[in-house]
Amino acid sequence: MRTIFAIMKKELTSYLTTLWAWVVFTVMALLSAVFFIALLGSFKQVQDAAREMPGGWSALPPDYQAFRNLTDGVMINLWGTILVLTLFVAPFLSMRLFAEERRNKTFELLMTAPIRPIEIVLGKYLGALGIVVMTLGVTIVFPIILSILGSSESGSALEWRTVLLGYGAMLLWGATNMAIGMFISSLTESQMVAAFVSFAVALVWMLIKSVAPSADEPLRSILNYLAFDSQMQNLLKGVLDLKPIVFFGSVIALFLLLTHRSIEAQRWT
Amino acid sequence: MAMIEVENLTKKYRDRVAIDALNFKIEEGEIVGFLGPNGAGKSTTMKILTGFMPATSGKARVAGFDIFEKPLEAKRRIGYLPETPPLYPELTVRGYLKFVAELKGVPRAKVKSEIERVATGTGILPELARLTGVLSKGYRQRVGIAQAMLGDPALLILDEPTEGLDPRQRKEVLELIKSLAGKHTVVLSTHILSEVKTICQKVLIIHRGKIVADDTMAAITGGKETGLEDKFIQLTAE
Repeated sequence: MRTIFAIMKKELTSYLTTLWAWVVFTVMALLSAVFFIALLGSFKQVQDAAREMPGGWSALPPDYQAFRNLTDGVMINLWGTILVLTLFVAPFLSMRLFAEERRNKTFELLMTAPIRPIEIVLGKYLGALGIVVMTLGVTIVFPIILSILGSSESGSALEWRTVLLGYGAMLLWGATNMAIGMFISSLTESQMVAAFVSFAVALVWMLIKSVAPSADEPLRSILNYLAFDSQMQNLLKGVLDLKPIVFFGSVIALFLLLTHRSIEAQRWT
Repeated sequence: MAMIEVENLTKKYRDRVAIDALNFKIEEGEIVGFLGPNGAGKSTTMKILTGFMPATSGKARVAGFDIFEKPLEAKRRIGYLPETPPLYPELTVRGYLKFVAELKGVPRAKVKSEIERVATGTGILPELARLTGVLSKGYRQRVGIAQAMLGDPALLILDEPTEGLDPRQRKEVLELIKSLAGKHTVVLSTHILSEVKTICQKVLIIHRGKIVADDTMAAITGGKETGLEDKFIQLTAE
């Protein structure tokens, strides 16, 4: 246990003492702020439209209905956008995990220390998890801003349960991306290759949903099941669903295992 | 008791045979020079002995523990300096040594005194607060040796410990290694013969993956000043 924490701590120190993590935090804060402001703009527009319309909300098209409250109109949409941002950002955090050890020749230090390879994998993953939580943690300011400045006819401005479940879904997606990225990083010495491949894998996964309708059964059902959106939907809508937690949890476990196999296997070449 | 026992150790990279059925023994407390031309198989042997890579066939035991069957027990007794000192440029020397001490399972209460002990021994005490990434080559090498000494392992395996050092640093590192004699078993590889002459009691010469000499320093040199050079050139000829 102690070695796992030692590796985790070293990972976090490495992230936070180099510029990299801070650049990523800044980019994340900046981009999500832009989308937040844009969503607030649309929210206001639709609210105004509903007020001026003679029929009120019922006269507006169905896509506008989400804008009836801040939770669905702004926060859930924002989380959906940040999911996509995570896809771009996570590879830049995960790429160095093993590739850099290989390049610095520190991999030999880890592999000749009296520790099991699984401890290396877990320690690194916990560090990676910490940094992705910090990155996404930046975005918690948006619901806080809304709950302070926003208002609603029915009490509190936000429905926190829904907001936090959506936030949890984002963290889960971030954690999944880091596990995939770590595995890919363990395959190469080049950080750029690691980042690019991790990004490509996550992107393909996100696009599965749009390919599924054109496939035949039973492939279509399989694709629909694997599709990232269909798994995440309930959590994002604020329904506490165990299925996605188990699903993404299994994906994470699978990639941790693959990473373990990969670093074990490399010693044999 | 033999600190290292190697039997028929062979490593092949696809078709290329890096080391071919090595057999040797190293006794406790010896300082052994592991010599050979570049590409002879020195680093490969060391990587296998430290458990970084497995052998294709054969056996290797460190302090009685088979490195393939009981890797954790064996690794606990080894301090290893690879060819390139394995440093994290973004950590300070102290932070780095602390990390390695934790990896090696040095008891929490002893970490601080251990760091001070190895830093004093390698002369890096004044550099503890600096980042390893900004150190000069000589200091990087010393931090590498300090790292290997952490936890006081019985066996030190040093792959070209004096590589890239200036003459003064070279002398200091050699003195340091010499001072470890008796308490530690040291295996060091190098292709600088004069270094070996000053500190090693025993010499292993490897050429094209085979051991071509395994004897005490006195027996190899035969008492002559240029004995080791002559022998080396003779044994590693085409």
